[in-house]
Amino acid sequence: MSVGPMISDLLRSLFKQPATELYPFVKTPAPTRLRGKLTWDPTSCTGCQLCVKDCPANAIELIVIDKANKRFIMNYHADHCIYCAQCVVSCRFNCLRLSNEDWELAAAQKQPFEVYYGKEEDVALFMEQAAKTGAKQA
Amino acid sequence: MTADTNKFVIPIGPQHPALKEPANFEFWVDGEIVTGASVRLGYVHRGIEKGAEARTWTQNLYLMERICGICSHVHATAYTLGVEKLAGVEVPPRANAIRQLMAELERIHSHMLWLGVAAHEGGFDTLFMYSWRDRETVMDLLEKISGNKVHYSANLLGGVKFDITPELAAEVHKGLDFLEERNRFYLKVVTTDETFIGRTRDIGTMTTEKAEFLGAIGPTARASGVARDIRVDAPYLTYDQFPVKVMTHTSGDLHGRFIVRIHETFESIRVIREILDHIPQGDLTTRVPRRIPAGEAVSRVEAPRGELLYFIASNGSEKPERVKVRTPSLCNWSTVLSLAIGLKLADMPMLLSGIDPCFSCNDRSIRLKRGQQDPQVWSWEKLRQYGIEYYR
Repeated sequence: MSVGPMISDLLRSLFKQPATELYPFVKTPAPTRLRGKLTWDPTSCTGCQLCVKDCPANAIELIVIDKANKRFIMNYHADHCIYCAQCVVSCRFNCLRLSNEDWELAAAQKQPFEVYYGKEEDVALFMEQAAKTGAKQA
Repeated sequence: MTADTNKFVIPIGPQHPALKEPANFEFWVDGEIVTGASVRLGYVHRGIEKGAEARTWTQNLYLMERICGICSHVHATAYTLGVEKLAGVEVPPRANAIRQLMAELERIHSHMLWLGVAAHEGGFDTLFMYSWRDRETVMDLLEKISGNKVHYSANLLGGVKFDITPELAAEVHKGLDFLEERNRFYLKVVTTDETFIGRTRDIGTMTTEKAEFLGAIGPTARASGVARDIRVDAPYLTYDQFPVKVMTHTSGDLHGRFIVRIHETFESIRVIREILDHIPQGDLTTRVPRRIPAGEAVSRVEAPRGELLYFIASNGSEKPERVKVRTPSLCNWSTVLSLAIGLKLADMPMLLSGIDPCFSCNDRSIRLKRGQQDPQVWSWEKLRQYGIEYYR
């Protein structure tokens, strides 16, 4: 039996650096396997939709612009995503990756969570069409 | 639990009843002494089992992982073991070894979390802060291996996502050395600190017979001398290749539970080192069909809190017909209610945290069929009408 067996530990801590990190002023690099924001490389995508089917959070939409010419765009909902990497495993063509650099995703608005990936002209075409249908519905 | 209505009733919860999860306890007291106790659960019922029926087998893996934040990996493991049993696939041994490694790292993290929580309930906040600081080490290791600190998502149907590289193995070894040293120190603290022993020794003593009678499981039962551990009794994954020893203690009090859990941490550290040194070579995954053949399967694993049971029924489609989960916390509640009687009210937070409860884990609803005229079964229309009337 003793009283205060942690006292030596406490005293030693007086001469140590704080255990907490000074984030966001000092940023420790993220581990290489960290699962951050999803990125999509359209070059080898065949539009098989396996990532969409397997996503447990319905965070991925693959929009077909032209199936024959393999023109797709991806609408990624970063606010739905649970960063489980199932889509990365499901993709047989290695189009998907979870970034270990882009992980500070908090935002005050909804807009940054709506991410469109794909060729610029395809995204522009889709946006144009969406705006037209929106105007018609209104 | 019957109660004397002449006595004073002290309600604790549902907000923050000693732990940061909701449950309502009522303690009948005579002065300082508790004479009766009751518990009311269900405040965090999320309908996960029903939700599982609307998702595919793969999607459910991540839903099951979210039943508990502390033991997310064992939930996913129990689910995958059940599904793999139904599909009749053999998972590569390397994948199974990595699953076991993750499960044991998770056990260290869970036990160190508990050590801090229990110390905090006992008023020993220094131990709480230091043990949680050191727990970051094991969480960082889990993050380095899997990419996430809490929901590791290491499992896949038919294997695992991540491999253990030699560099990672070296880092895990280094982390384990530090954790072992710190846990030896904490074992010394909890067994020698006089004030802490005053809060734990001979408090809530449960005999082996009583533990058996009340159906206690996990470290709660093992602290009362019940040598029951699914990892040993019914080995799954690679537990037959890398066996663990069952840690028991005979005292049965809160003090015994501290000792058992810290010894289990040492045992986990030992087995992780063994896995890292003798990890089988081979593939990480095997193919599992998208449609799982019809049938029923039961899978059992040893979660940090005790036996976790999954019952999975398939009708041959892409979605399960039924997934039933029985978590360990649910089995240990009766020990709290039974042991509370005769103790002081001030011991209740310690007694509660002594079983390492996880409230959101055990909140599940069961409907007992009472024939045609069941007052608990409402039609959608009736429920809607009730809602409208309620807010009128």
